[in-house]
Amino acid sequence: MFKKENGAQWLLLTAVFVIATCGLIYELVAGTLASYLLGDSITQFSTIIGVYLFSMGIGSFLSKYFNSNLLSWFIRIELLVGLVGGFSSALLFIVFPLAASFRIILYAIVLITGILVGLEIPLLMRILENKVAFKELVSRVFTFDYIGALLASLIFPLLLVPHLGLIRTSLFFGILNVGVGWYLAHRFTNEIRQVTLLKAAAITLLLAQLICFVFSENIMSYSETMTYDDNVVYSTSTPYQRIVLTKNKHELRLFLNGNLQFSSADEYRYHEALIHPTFSSLNSPEQVLVLGGGDGLAVREILKYPSVKQITLVDLDPAMTKLFSRQEILVRLNDSSLLNNKVHVHNADAFTWLRANKTLFDAIVVDFPDPSNFSIGKLYSTSFYQLLKHALRPDGIAVIQSTSPYVAPKSFWCVDTTLRSVGLHTIAYHNYVPSFGEWGYIMATPEEPHQWFSHIPAPLKFLNPTTLQQMLTFPEDMKAHQLLDINKLNNQALVKYFEEEWGKYLEH
Amino acid sequence: MRRRSFIQSIAGLTVVSSFIASCHKQRVIGGSVIGTSAHTGHLLRDKKFAAPVSTTEHAVVIVGGGISGLSAARHLHRQGIRDIVILDLEKEMGGNAACGKNDISGYPWGAHYVPIPNNDLTEYTDFMRECGVITSDSTALLPTYNEYHLCFDPEERLYINGQWQEGLVPQFGVPEREKVQIRQFLEKMQAFRIAKGQDGKDAFAIPLDNSSKDPAFVQLDSLTMKQWLQQQGLTSEYLQWYVNYCTRDDYGTTYDEISAWVGIQYFASRKGKGSNADHHDVLTWAEGNGWLAAHLKKELQPYFHNQALVARIHQDNEILSVDYFDVKESRLKRINARQCILAVPQFIAARIMHDEERMQKVHQHIQYSPWMVANIRTKELEERNGPPLSWDNVLYNSQSLGYVEATHQEIRQGIQQRNLTYYLPLTAHTPAEERKTAIEMTHAEWVKLIVDDLEKVHPNIADAIEEVNVMVWGHAMAKPLPGIAHGTIRQELAASVNDKLHFAHTDLAGNSIFEEAFYQGLSAAKKVTTHLSGNI
Repeated sequence: MFKKENGAQWLLLTAVFVIATCGLIYELVAGTLASYLLGDSITQFSTIIGVYLFSMGIGSFLSKYFNSNLLSWFIRIELLVGLVGGFSSALLFIVFPLAASFRIILYAIVLITGILVGLEIPLLMRILENKVAFKELVSRVFTFDYIGALLASLIFPLLLVPHLGLIRTSLFFGILNVGVGWYLAHRFTNEIRQVTLLKAAAITLLLAQLICFVFSENIMSYSETMTYDDNVVYSTSTPYQRIVLTKNKHELRLFLNGNLQFSSADEYRYHEALIHPTFSSLNSPEQVLVLGGGDGLAVREILKYPSVKQITLVDLDPAMTKLFSRQEILVRLNDSSLLNNKVHVHNADAFTWLRANKTLFDAIVVDFPDPSNFSIGKLYSTSFYQLLKHALRPDGIAVIQSTSPYVAPKSFWCVDTTLRSVGLHTIAYHNYVPSFGEWGYIMATPEEPHQWFSHIPAPLKFLNPTTLQQMLTFPEDMKAHQLLDINKLNNQALVKYFEEEWGKYLEH
Repeated sequence: MRRRSFIQSIAGLTVVSSFIASCHKQRVIGGSVIGTSAHTGHLLRDKKFAAPVSTTEHAVVIVGGGISGLSAARHLHRQGIRDIVILDLEKEMGGNAACGKNDISGYPWGAHYVPIPNNDLTEYTDFMRECGVITSDSTALLPTYNEYHLCFDPEERLYINGQWQEGLVPQFGVPEREKVQIRQFLEKMQAFRIAKGQDGKDAFAIPLDNSSKDPAFVQLDSLTMKQWLQQQGLTSEYLQWYVNYCTRDDYGTTYDEISAWVGIQYFASRKGKGSNADHHDVLTWAEGNGWLAAHLKKELQPYFHNQALVARIHQDNEILSVDYFDVKESRLKRINARQCILAVPQFIAARIMHDEERMQKVHQHIQYSPWMVANIRTKELEERNGPPLSWDNVLYNSQSLGYVEATHQEIRQGIQQRNLTYYLPLTAHTPAEERKTAIEMTHAEWVKLIVDDLEKVHPNIADAIEEVNVMVWGHAMAKPLPGIAHGTIRQELAASVNDKLHFAHTDLAGNSIFEEAFYQGLSAAKKVTTHLSGNI
């Protein structure tokens, strides 16, 4: 009899240990996630820890209202902690791009986990109060509690985050929590009412979390977190591409299929250069077409011209435009440009759309990914530029992002050659974007005479008449020094140049 | 949770997932074997028909709605002749340019491209201009081709020595001395391309009958391509594979069977040049030559009688009667025609004419090669090293010719599902044996054959395939064996009968290509107009 009682006591103390570890882990997961997703880790950790400890206090306070069936309640709470804590990071990752009120959900989860964990220790002490002397009890429970905390704080940064990732870490501890609950129910079957129900609930939860653990986070997104320098705060695979957002203290970066699209730190340099040389050379542009550019950052710059009546944005991927219309931080970055009622978003294939288009535009902004494969290369072909030319008013201007003239001068000038081959006049220019390097753009127009750069809006962070003049000058190391082929659907010279030049560059 | 039970449940999950995976592997791939109407066609051989139930009169009857028949009808229509009937066994006109369509794209069931037309083919280039394939007007120095129809880059790749290489001429892992032979071969072909005979004509022209009769070249028709290669000391295994691939690809005939003259013609007769295209460029469409057939058909719809099996053509007292079995009504009908063009293969023409002597002649000289063509609907495929998915994807030393990606000419981004058209000329045994085996093959057996072949280059293909439809062509094309191109058999068979019955088909042209069919139809139609106007 004594032996059995003793066994039960040690079992319950092990439970304390597990609970303590799990509790702290959930807190750390929430803190880390918050600083990944929202930035400013000091504030995030500080508020998360604060809310968490306070919630534990609420839990301890509430524990006095539990008067009977303590063991049964303990197990129920154990299962609940496992459920909420275990799925917490998966849930937070999923709602981050969808919900504007991400913070509310985050703190709600922290609050609930805190309250539940806060309930556990007092309940456990009361379960054990008649079995162990009080001073022994307090000593043992808190010893195990703090050892658990130490263990958690050590393995979390050293083992769990690097090897399991956040989603699996919380699921793993969810499984431990639920496992403890199930074992206690199993062990004390005779002392608990409705034990079958509890066990069934535990088994269901265990299975759900195991399945999530094994299947949901596949190897790809696991290795992805390893690929990027910064923390991946959001990633998704759409039918068209893999979208990944990363964040560090200073900047937010967007990657499409592993290629950097912008860094929040210097994207203004790129987007000012993309938009203003064209728009400042137009007399009150009204109809504007943006191809690609689902991040709304180019549109943000275009909206600085009050004459613009309508911006048609054609981007293939609804996931992109949705993300940049709804997600709080991203909407702040593009100044809610995609929500402006001048902007009409079409999620369509640009080539197909342009082929069917009948409207004439004053300005067309072409912001496609670099021509790194034969599929994207089609969007830089003579056939595409013919369509572009036909969609422009005679006095309209198109501007095309054209990769780096420093890394890939042949590719850059091949775009220029191709534009000229369909009878467009071109002006090439470039600027320095720290996260990209030296970057190039080409303006193309059916008619030559323009009052170039006469209406630059103020104030801009990068562009002014002086920097513009520098942008128009190409030093020798940004010239092609050879006759270049025209990029055609049936002979994609550009893709070959691009592969050759960027391939060589990335070898180093 | 105890460790053991944790491990057990993990193990349980593994068992479950591998069970799911194994179910997946053994899943049945959908689709079916779609025959050309072989069964109905064989009625011609096996059935005795009753007397016709009705008789109508028409100026011209064209039997066969393949490219030759359509081309003939188009010419007659352009000449203002409207009293035309075109009879064809199939539900759709088009012959070897047959095509299909699903929610992804169109796809070919047979011929799927044409090379850049030779510039001297005025009627043919005019047709191309009408279709919008040539965008410049006829006065332009060089025609400009519509770039949406020129085969997009990347065009061809070959899986050889464990990886893909660009182009179909073997290069990767080929020893230098064999590369030398390959270069020599290609140089010889270039020399043939520009060669002219003593009579001043091109040594190798399209149509074939425009070629020089200079014995220096004509004698090449008396030996096989393989013999010619050996004569030239071109013994490289890689080169021989390449040549054999080419002759099987265009003519369904192996290089040890095909006439050397025709084999060389494949390489040497393409001389077209455009302002934005060259003789090695090709024109292609998702639905293959079905696209061109659709343009030919455009103004001819009123003349079409589909599912009409012509059973007999005979001539009594100056009246030419064409009896055909209307498959839909299951009745024999008669048309009395002033002129008739038989635009069908010669083995069918002879049978329709009930001409024993002619039938024997055909059997003696002409062999028809059977083909299997499969259209594969697939999700994204795993790739081996080398160039990415191209238009034409060929596997070195495979029995098949590889596959053509029907979705290649799409301009849109992010294509997730594709149609691949897989070609297999059945050349391992005699045509009769191959035909018999092919007709007995089940859908599952064809699918296995295709998957086993393509698994080498796309390890996940068994899982990625969504549907496979198979078509077996029992008599896809006449083999250009030695003695046919420059022998007398073609003239004998092509001679019009009583100035009323004319012949138009590529097996009379000596090789089965679109241009030949186009001109076969054109010249038969010209004969018809001459005789019709003579009669008036």
